[in-house]
Amino acid sequence: MSRRFAVLVALIVVCAGVELVAGRGMSPAAVWDVLGGGGDATERHILLQLRLPRLLVALGAGACLGVAGLVLQSALRNPLAGPEVTGVTPGAVLGAVAATGLGLAGWESPLAVVVAACVGGCAGAALLWLLAGRGRSDPAQTAVHGVLVSAVLGGLTAMVLLVAPGELGSVVQWLVGTTEGRVWQHWHLLWPWALAWGVVAWLLAGPLTLLRCGDDIALAAGLSARRARTLALLCAVALTAGAVAAVGALGFVGLLVPHLAVAVFGADLRVTLPGAALVGAAVVCGADAAAQLSSRLLAAALDSGRLTLPVGALTACLGAALLLVVVRRTPSRTF
Amino acid sequence: MSTPTATHSAAGDTASGAQPSGRLVIGWQLPVLVALLVAASACALSLGTPYVPLHRLPGALLDGDSTLAGIVVTELRVPRLVLALVAGACLGAAGLVLQEALRNPLAVPEMLGVSSGAALGVAAPLVLAVSLPAAVQPLLAIGGAALGGGLTLLAAGLGRSPSAVLLTGAAVAAALQAALLVLMVMADQLDLQLIYRYLLGSLSARTWEDVTGLWPWLLVAVPALVLCAPVLSVLRLGDEDAEALGVRAQRARLAALAIAVVLIAPVTAVCGPVAWVGFLAPHLARWFNPAAGAVRWLPWSAAWGAAVVAVADVPARLALAPVETPVGAWTALVGVPAGVALLRSGRRRPAGTAVVRSAPQGTDAVPARPSEEVR
Repeated sequence: MSRRFAVLVALIVVCAGVELVAGRGMSPAAVWDVLGGGGDATERHILLQLRLPRLLVALGAGACLGVAGLVLQSALRNPLAGPEVTGVTPGAVLGAVAATGLGLAGWESPLAVVVAACVGGCAGAALLWLLAGRGRSDPAQTAVHGVLVSAVLGGLTAMVLLVAPGELGSVVQWLVGTTEGRVWQHWHLLWPWALAWGVVAWLLAGPLTLLRCGDDIALAAGLSARRARTLALLCAVALTAGAVAAVGALGFVGLLVPHLAVAVFGADLRVTLPGAALVGAAVVCGADAAAQLSSRLLAAALDSGRLTLPVGALTACLGAALLLVVVRRTPSRTF
Repeated sequence: MSTPTATHSAAGDTASGAQPSGRLVIGWQLPVLVALLVAASACALSLGTPYVPLHRLPGALLDGDSTLAGIVVTELRVPRLVLALVAGACLGAAGLVLQEALRNPLAVPEMLGVSSGAALGVAAPLVLAVSLPAAVQPLLAIGGAALGGGLTLLAAGLGRSPSAVLLTGAAVAAALQAALLVLMVMADQLDLQLIYRYLLGSLSARTWEDVTGLWPWLLVAVPALVLCAPVLSVLRLGDEDAEALGVRAQRARLAALAIAVVLIAPVTAVCGPVAWVGFLAPHLARWFNPAAGAVRWLPWSAAWGAAVVAVADVPARLALAPVETPVGAWTALVGVPAGVALLRSGRRRPAGTAVVRSAPQGTDAVPARPSEEVR
């Protein structure tokens, strides 16, 4: 098991290295120079003030989303329950956009954005809970209802955006999920929140493992299933909200990562939860590096400078492919 | 009208006097629908700036371009209303066709990747600054819609159960959305506003040209609809029974999907994906008349679609008065909760009235499996 962790950490380091050299305008040699303490002022600024925080934010957000997805899937016993399909992410986007658009929060009061995203995420989850009603036990149906909830929340977000149209350009990037232009402020906002709720998730790892086995077994083992589930859902919503406030709605990371993590580390959450954090960090960081590289290639090929590929688009495509695999692999009668 | 079910439902028409409850509900449907349509049309034509009182409307319509009110009514409000009605009718009919062909009450264009595909087909040339003649736009939309729907069905496999198809559709739609978002990030501020409004479905500033652009497609689609309606009600019985009755089920299903695409894509090309009308309208038609078959539901579904879009366009135009809100946002806000509520209440009816719906269908009818493994 520790070897797998080591491999994963090595993978993250490689991704981080690629991410640091992937952007435009600096050769790998110059990056090495700056890391060694040399380099001129511009290069130092680019690396230390722009690329490093971007890398850290990507890692942190990926870890948050991975853990949140795993907690959700375990608590709801539903392999399709990512934050995106349970209405948490669209709700958090709605909360953040509403708070920003209506002037309740801005970059001067960044904590308000996180809190608003959190409230929105809770509202989205509650809406799904109301809508799914009695049929909560069927995974596919919950997911389908989640798509409906996302549609409603998306409509509301659109309304808010049209009331405050000035922000559209920056908010669209938020809707896709991008790590473009993230600076140290974002990181300082993200890590305490992520750390606090990550610890909560870690403490919940044992109860969650029991919950995965089913309510009967959990009750027999002396666990208050309802309370544990409520706490776990709250934790998942908070982690998702933190990530959304930092990088926007990164598509399908919360759905994709837990499946990878469970495949690599097994179903014992005391091991898999940190594993999911690492996998999430690796996936988002790698996707960001790939997005930067490919937008560089595309820009060179199509000869247009403004072309940038947001990382959210890449993860959404990956996640869609994975969702297809999950749906196809489950025997047709289950759904 | 040679298929057994068609004659059966025609017989049901004449024999509806024998079903008191059915007749009662049908009796409600027409007045409610007409009242909604009349009220929405009156609001659409008279409210706004300048306000044209109802009793002056005929005068304004006859005047034509001699007065300001006449110009506003004939050149702006009437085409907009007509477009809303036509688009709604197309979407409602297409929604019913999709739901019946896939035997799935949640099979709506939004969930199958059809809408996203069509939107992508329209938005791409706009951002990439490729200038195209207006006549090509519906073709691109049709290509995109067929791509989205085809991808979904290919990936899901045609014979799969409803939820699997829907989830596959959600995945395909998400991938197409991602492509759209890439386009949106590339666009500059002005294009972005335009695309964003378009993507939400908007009827603002549409003229007679947009309305007339729809007619050729309707000329193709309406006869096809009339032809395929009886087959749809046979498909509802299940593939094996349909084959036994002499319908080649897969081929019929593909044809139905093609018709749905031809109905949806031109509407999307003109006014964007007006969301969830294809979900709400068929359920309204079914709720009012649960015992009928696809042949009877089809016109009602189209009429309800027209009513929904026309009604939703009133708050879209007037709610935040100088600013237009997109009609698609309103239909999504209203359509999804209302549709789900109708779906639920339709299922709770006693089995006697819901004869056709008694077969286990749809996602909610899938037996819940609490013991399922999470892996």
